[in-house]
Amino acid sequence: MSILWQDAMLEAFRETTLRIAHFLPKLLVLLTFLALGVAAGWLVKVLLLRLLRAFRFDALCERFGLGSSLAKAGTKQSISHLVSRLSFWVVFLLFAFMGIEALDLTATANMMSVMIGFPPHMLAAVLLLVFGVLLANFIAEAALIATVNAQIQEARIIASFIRWGVLIFTAAMVLTQLGIAKEIVVAASSITFGGVMLALAIAIGLGGQSIAKDALEQRLRLRKVEQDEMSHI
Amino acid sequence: MAMTKTVWPQVRQQVGDIEKIEVLVGIPTFNNAGTVGPVVKAVKEGIRKVCPHASILVVNADAGSMDGTPETIKHAMEPDTPTVFVQHLEGRLLSGPISLQALSESGVPGREDAFRAFFTIAEDLQAKACVVVDANLRSLTSDWMEALLHPVIEKGVDYVAPLFRRARYEGSLTNCIIYPLSRALYGKQMRYQSGGGYGFSGRLASLYLTKNVWEGVGAWYGIDSWLTTVAVAEGCEVSQGFLGTRIQDVKLTGIELSVVLAQAVGALFHLMEAYQDVWEGRMGSSPVPQFGLPYEPGPVGSAVNVERMVRGFQQGLRDLLPIWEIILAPETLAGILALGLLEAEEFRFPEALWVQTIYDFALAYHEKALHREHLLKSLTPLYLGQTASLVLETREGTPEDVERAIETLCKTFESMKPYLTQRWRFP
Repeated sequence: MSILWQDAMLEAFRETTLRIAHFLPKLLVLLTFLALGVAAGWLVKVLLLRLLRAFRFDALCERFGLGSSLAKAGTKQSISHLVSRLSFWVVFLLFAFMGIEALDLTATANMMSVMIGFPPHMLAAVLLLVFGVLLANFIAEAALIATVNAQIQEARIIASFIRWGVLIFTAAMVLTQLGIAKEIVVAASSITFGGVMLALAIAIGLGGQSIAKDALEQRLRLRKVEQDEMSHI
Repeated sequence: MAMTKTVWPQVRQQVGDIEKIEVLVGIPTFNNAGTVGPVVKAVKEGIRKVCPHASILVVNADAGSMDGTPETIKHAMEPDTPTVFVQHLEGRLLSGPISLQALSESGVPGREDAFRAFFTIAEDLQAKACVVVDANLRSLTSDWMEALLHPVIEKGVDYVAPLFRRARYEGSLTNCIIYPLSRALYGKQMRYQSGGGYGFSGRLASLYLTKNVWEGVGAWYGIDSWLTTVAVAEGCEVSQGFLGTRIQDVKLTGIELSVVLAQAVGALFHLMEAYQDVWEGRMGSSPVPQFGLPYEPGPVGSAVNVERMVRGFQQGLRDLLPIWEIILAPETLAGILALGLLEAEEFRFPEALWVQTIYDFALAYHEKALHREHLLKSLTPLYLGQTASLVLETREGTPEDVERAIETLCKTFESMKPYLTQRWRFP
């Protein structure tokens, strides 16, 4: 009895020791990857920040209205700072996933393959988002200036309408790219755009027919008078 | 040069054995059959008076007229006067709808291509002088040739800019921005009126061809915007020819004010970058020789809708403030914000504030603080405010009072130039 107990104890101790002996190097690998991730992430962050500053990336983004958009959203840091910080986390997470994979845990078995498959979609979505925001700002700014110069009193409303139209369209594209609720997004955006257009058509066609006619007549007649008034150049 | 290759075979066939000429007369046309006949006759008569024995070549660059303009010119010309017809240059004029690029302030499509053809032919045939006249003029007389050609041939002048008698407040964009700013920058008192007619020396024609203004960003702006600036900045012998009143067949009314403003002011800002070393060192200004009749201010003219201009300024102040915040210096913006409190009748745009505004826009253009087209077009409400202020200040006075106000504005531009130069290199 005591021999059996002794053997069982020894076996359990041996196995546990063996498992710990197997796990400890993996843990060490994880810690090494984390440390490497911090170092590599920091290096990439610093280099990218310097590169972006050298190319006056912030001024470029400011020119296209991205800086002001982020400021409106409550972000106080410059875009080059944000991009470099993002690069740190991307590099760090890459190393962290390598470390987790090295642990060889059942729960994280497919994590790396999933994570490797996801970034292209994520990158495309981020690019779409950035492009959409830039486009929305650019078109809205152009519309605002054009309508103010034409002395249309509703200039800001028109510009906002255009900005939000492009932003909503961008958001729908980003969500579709990420594969989030594809059908709902497509249906929602179709209903929204269709609904807005229908509402406008009904409003002008039924309710504001005479107002639209008067406004057009007034604008065209006014423009003729003003154009004949003086030559600026 | 690409242009030479495109134009020269067409020209060579038509000029026969001519190797050298003394005077080239350029006539850019686009559906001007109604006016081009008298224009050609007046030009012929004028040249006969100014230089009766000179060898002449008349070049018509047509942008695709559908009304038989080239045929009208053929009928108006004498058989012994060599004439060249150049059409559809580089295939650009007929490619698609007329773009802004091809539509200068004159409203004539293909104008830049036409001038380029004139200068190329003038260079190839070693012309001593080149005169270009618009075909839509009803007021062109033979005396114009005296004013445009005589200084080039007899006095050794490189460039003769047109100067017209215009109704009070006409050409307000030129008087409030282009003329004072150019004068302060390059130190020459040229009135910067454009279109109608120009005189060039052969040397200047060749110089224009070497400049990087025919393609790229420079080409976006109309040629009339930069002809004078390049001549002045390059240190050429410049002068002005007073041509009386300009009456043209079609007035420039189809193009929006903000587009005209963006083209004219944009050309000036664009060339500020190219000629930075030239204008930074020039202070004050000097008058330029004037030919033709003595200059006199124009008549009173029709009433101007000041209230609408003030409304345009106030709307700009309300809606474009976030954009102006990027462009203008804080003290300039504070001064402009204060103007929003004034009633229409009391509205005045202080001269110093206007000058500071223009200099801030030039600096913002240089620093690329905003998309450049947006930047230039956002100046429109401020310009309307300045014009309204000028009208309100002088409408009870005489045309001479307007001239005096413009002269004061020019002097303010000159005295405040250090504001621009200090910030240009070290923003």
